[in-house]
Amino acid sequence: MNYYVETILVYAGVDIIACLALNLQFGVSGIVNFSFIVFQAAGAYTAAVLSMPPDTASGMSFQHYVLGLQLPFPIPWLGGALVGGLLAIPVGVLLLRRLRSDYQAIALLVLSVIVNTVITNYRPLFNGAAGLSVIPPPLSERIDPYTATYQYLYVGITFVCCLLVLFVANRIVNSPYGRTLRAMREHELAASALGKNLVALKLTVFVVGGIIAGLSGAILVGFISYWAPITWLYPETIVLFAAIIVGGRGNNLGAILGGLLVPLGFEEITRFIPTGFGPPGLGPAIQWVAIGLLIIGFLWFRPKGVLPEPRRVFNEAGIEESPFMEVRAS
Amino acid sequence: MLTAREVHRHFEGMRAVDGVSIDVLPGRITGLIGPNGAGKSTFLAVLAGTLPASSGNIVFEAEVITALPAYKRARRGLVRTFQLPSEFAQLTVLENLLVAAPGNRGESLLGALLGKRYWLPDERRLVERARRLLNRFGMSAKESDYAGTLSGGQKRIVEIMRALMLRPRVLLLDEPMAGVHPSIVDEIATYLESLRDEGLTILMVEHELHMVERLCDPVIVMAQGKIIGQGPMTMLRRQREIVDAYLVG
Repeated sequence: MNYYVETILVYAGVDIIACLALNLQFGVSGIVNFSFIVFQAAGAYTAAVLSMPPDTASGMSFQHYVLGLQLPFPIPWLGGALVGGLLAIPVGVLLLRRLRSDYQAIALLVLSVIVNTVITNYRPLFNGAAGLSVIPPPLSERIDPYTATYQYLYVGITFVCCLLVLFVANRIVNSPYGRTLRAMREHELAASALGKNLVALKLTVFVVGGIIAGLSGAILVGFISYWAPITWLYPETIVLFAAIIVGGRGNNLGAILGGLLVPLGFEEITRFIPTGFGPPGLGPAIQWVAIGLLIIGFLWFRPKGVLPEPRRVFNEAGIEESPFMEVRAS
Repeated sequence: MLTAREVHRHFEGMRAVDGVSIDVLPGRITGLIGPNGAGKSTFLAVLAGTLPASSGNIVFEAEVITALPAYKRARRGLVRTFQLPSEFAQLTVLENLLVAAPGNRGESLLGALLGKRYWLPDERRLVERARRLLNRFGMSAKESDYAGTLSGGQKRIVEIMRALMLRPRVLLLDEPMAGVHPSIVDEIATYLESLRDEGLTILMVEHELHMVERLCDPVIVMAQGKIIGQGPMTMLRRQREIVDAYLVG
């Protein structure tokens, strides 16, 4: 398999998983989690230090990090997912309980900046600004990671993870629990007055999103073998928000489409913008401008995205018809 | 049934509710009237738990609920509606009702993950109940419409139906006729009368005095955070200070 195609497919898988998680939090539940990338980073760092040898091992002395347990696959990935979920508990308890939703968004954005700054400047934890490198790819002790077979395998495992996350996300979105989350998104006070425990609802969906975000980070770090603060700056979260807005808030299929169109498609397409003119860094700057314009454009002209949240219609027997059968905007 | 004693609610020194004590009698519609800024809606919010009381005591069915959050009060049967439309706009009318219904095993994260087979029986039972309610309130044709697309009066009816899905013991209605077309005002009044006749206890904040006169007994009058009178509307009309404060015209 062509390495470029493999890279695209793994990135697509990671972006889709991340978008499905953010869709649960933002699209379905209305939690504007501007620190989403922190949970992905937590999963990535955890998977890295669980799979790497100790930093005292030969060839690793150029970097400092905790743990270095050299655990076999899939433990580092499961650990990454677990830490993503565990991290969501204190963050959720601190920021989601009392703050109004707009203040929550600001607090989460600030949290993202603070965490990145701390990790950048505190070297003993994850090697500071230089980040972790030479992270062993999963199963590399059994299969040579530079072979086509390994590439197929990695794409396959990523695909299976996508299906698993989609299965979980569909179960949540298409259930009475998902309906309650949507009600909370629409009117928090009314949901509370109808007996809904908003703190519990927010915390559970925040933890589920954290677990999935952690998994996406673990998959990504296993593939690129490198992770540093520069890879998870807060604007990366904005790209995922753009994906959800473009794809369709509250719709898992919309999240998948957004994941393909924005983080992957858009960034790949903008690579073909001619370089060599203007000041250095103009290309990436244009990418960010384009992402911003995309968000504004969709919010203005098509706020429900390409695939809007489906209307839920119940048949005579009291069973909800498949939301995939009818995708229409109001 | 529902008792408030010396309830205060202050906002940075401003006494929105200033030592209010009331008894909501079972099986009646108690009216709560007063000029704008009298503290009626604030008091209703304090009773429902959407605003905490600064001091005072609230007792519901022999249990002190002053410290309980709104969702726990709702689960005990003390359910409120809002002054401004509070429908779940991007949910259908039927979904608005289903959200409110307790007793669905799919409403927890674990239940959702266990899948449809686990919660479908509950869902079907609740859909049936919601449809009976829609039929009673003449809203069956709107079942699959987004609640956000309904008229003001229809939204009010959805709110009342939604509250009824919780099988409330006491219903707190905050201006259920506000902004509603006159033809639907009469319809809502008829529904409220029938609910009262079935034994439901209602406390209703309302400005439409002819509706208060028709539906409510007793009526409590508030002004500047305090109760200035209570009793049947005909009696209140004879009290000079109440007429001066509110009932002129």
